[in-house]
Amino acid sequence: MDLLEYQAKELFREMGIPVLPSQRIDHTRDLKRLQIPYPVVLKSQVRAGGRGRVGGVRFAENTIDAIAAAQAIFNLPILGEYPQVLLAEAKYDVTREFYLAVTLDYNARRPVLLGSSQGGMNVEAVMEQMQQVIVEEEFSPFYARRLAVKMGLKGNLIGSVSCILEKMYQLFVQKDLDGLEINPLGVSATGEVMALDGKITVNDAAFNRHPDLAMLAAEMPESEMTKETPLETYNNTSQSSLNWVNRDGNIGILCNGSDLAIAMADLVTRAGGSPRLCLSVSEEASGDLSAASRGEKLEQELERFVQNKNIKVLLVNIVGSAAVNEEVASSIVNYLQRKVNDIPEVPSQATRRFRPRGSDRRYDQKSLPQFIVRLLGGEIDYSSEHFASMPVNWIDNLEDAIAQAVSLAKSTAKT
Amino acid sequence: MNVTPDNKILVQGISEEQGSIYAARMKSYGTNIVAGTSAGHGGQLLHGIPVFDLVEQAIVEVGAIDTSIIFVPAYQVLDAALEAIASGIRQIILITGGIPPLDMVKLLRKAEATKTLVLGSGSSGIIVPGKILLGTHESKFYTPGNIGIIGRTGTLAYEVAWELTQASLGQSVAVSIGSDPIVGSSVVQWLQILAADKNTKAIVLVNHIGVPCEETAAKYIVEELDKPVVAYLAGRKSQKKLIGHANAISLRHREMMFASQRDGLASELTPEERQIAAFKQAKIPIADSPSQIPDLVKKALKK
Repeated sequence: MDLLEYQAKELFREMGIPVLPSQRIDHTRDLKRLQIPYPVVLKSQVRAGGRGRVGGVRFAENTIDAIAAAQAIFNLPILGEYPQVLLAEAKYDVTREFYLAVTLDYNARRPVLLGSSQGGMNVEAVMEQMQQVIVEEEFSPFYARRLAVKMGLKGNLIGSVSCILEKMYQLFVQKDLDGLEINPLGVSATGEVMALDGKITVNDAAFNRHPDLAMLAAEMPESEMTKETPLETYNNTSQSSLNWVNRDGNIGILCNGSDLAIAMADLVTRAGGSPRLCLSVSEEASGDLSAASRGEKLEQELERFVQNKNIKVLLVNIVGSAAVNEEVASSIVNYLQRKVNDIPEVPSQATRRFRPRGSDRRYDQKSLPQFIVRLLGGEIDYSSEHFASMPVNWIDNLEDAIAQAVSLAKSTAKT
Repeated sequence: MNVTPDNKILVQGISEEQGSIYAARMKSYGTNIVAGTSAGHGGQLLHGIPVFDLVEQAIVEVGAIDTSIIFVPAYQVLDAALEAIASGIRQIILITGGIPPLDMVKLLRKAEATKTLVLGSGSSGIIVPGKILLGTHESKFYTPGNIGIIGRTGTLAYEVAWELTQASLGQSVAVSIGSDPIVGSSVVQWLQILAADKNTKAIVLVNHIGVPCEETAAKYIVEELDKPVVAYLAGRKSQKKLIGHANAISLRHREMMFASQRDGLASELTPEERQIAAFKQAKIPIADSPSQIPDLVKKALKK
């Protein structure tokens, strides 16, 4: 998950990476109590890139300017996202700009230091000059110096830039990051370096052991993503993970295994359908949940699909042991029995957290999506009264299940 | 990897719910599970398997161990694997998924230095149908035969195995290399292992788009491998929309950053297009769905 610039800069500051004096602006009136001397830069705090080009970064010489600029930025969506916070920052005069990053090279299975002597918004120029140094063994500052020299730096800049890289690497390891980037790293006329913009990508699988990052994530404004999938998703990637969101789709997919999820989305698309939300619940062995809490978790996932009113059809494909399939089948039946009978639910502590605000409305069968369930490997008697009375299409063959899901989604969309 | 029925197998985290279930299942499949470990449970007997507090105590009792299968929770996996390596175990299967990548980096540095083979993380392990089960594969989807399967997670491999089984194409071995972004042994390593396996006549490679190993795999298949390979690459139709996911964005970003360093195919292609192009160029048949795989395998075997 990406942190916002002001959050990244807080972490930079803690680590001793130089950043400009800055102030978080939650409301235009905050500008009346600005602690930073003018001129300042006001920056939209959204995760999308390319803010500068579309007017999300503006300069201001005085309070009146600043309030006008802030109003404009608060009302400017960038790739559909309105900023909830701005960052006011001192202005800085640069003579050169560099690009620096630390990330993981999945092929080499090692961290890698990246640097370009061309920083800033011109991505092509940045890429053209990109240099890399793979950290083969335990990190030592020579890796950073090696990159600085590869970037073509000379004199004092070798020391100052590699010192920044070293601190970036420490932050990367200490916080289990997926990556961090400084672009641009500004160099002043006197040779002083300054992180003018920064990006930090937190690793979802390591979230639970970094409570400080979880706090930052909780501050994050809701985006299209988090509206559809509460942040808890990120806390439990080993048990359940979001694979896919498509704003125009109307088919929900739930299955076990991440590449099975991708395959399912693919097959539905091939059959002419449009998946909206695709979730993978854990393969049995990847989590350390008990059977009871697995069932509860599955019911939470079902609730999440049902809450999404755009989903007309929910396609469930679980491939596993008879025991797992029985567990899944009974969770679905339990869940639907509650919904169909319109029994007010007494949510457990855990399910309450997943429940979006203002969702205490009652359900009738019509408001539920069509359920298509395929459980490969189970020996379940679907004709038994227990299953037959449920509003569920139990289908054994994968291709048939997909064809049925696509055709139901189309006919429901028309009515 | 050495997978023979007389191998001595250890289960680390045998008292965890999954560890216990699968230790019993592996044992009943005929796998030679000689010991389990779970700190605090030493001295117990679980499904007839002796449990120890430490790996080194197990080795004193049962002798050298060939393979350890690890079921401990994600944040404890690095430590468990380092314990196995320190005790001289040189084949490790990580069933647990969701391990922080930097833990894997640390583990793999150690594994490379000690020549330890690491399968996973997030792996379902290995099955040699009818002979041995090392991990969590559902054996009922498999039948003995001579098609090898290399996949990432178990469940998509089951779909493929089931299609093959229904078409009377049995399997020699199926391996799941793991679902995490950083895994130990690679697709190419397993292609090499299956190339050397006498019982394997053809290989089905099951993967998904966006994993940066496809091009090296395609290169290896066309240049070195003399057994037919059929590929199923999930996500060809849908992956472009994956962009909503933060990880996918950083993956794309990374791909973009490394793209300029690579030689080979034209750089104006997206990573996805490059992967498909690499397979097409290598003339490796690509199935559109799991149900097409048996026919493509039959055709490939006739050649």
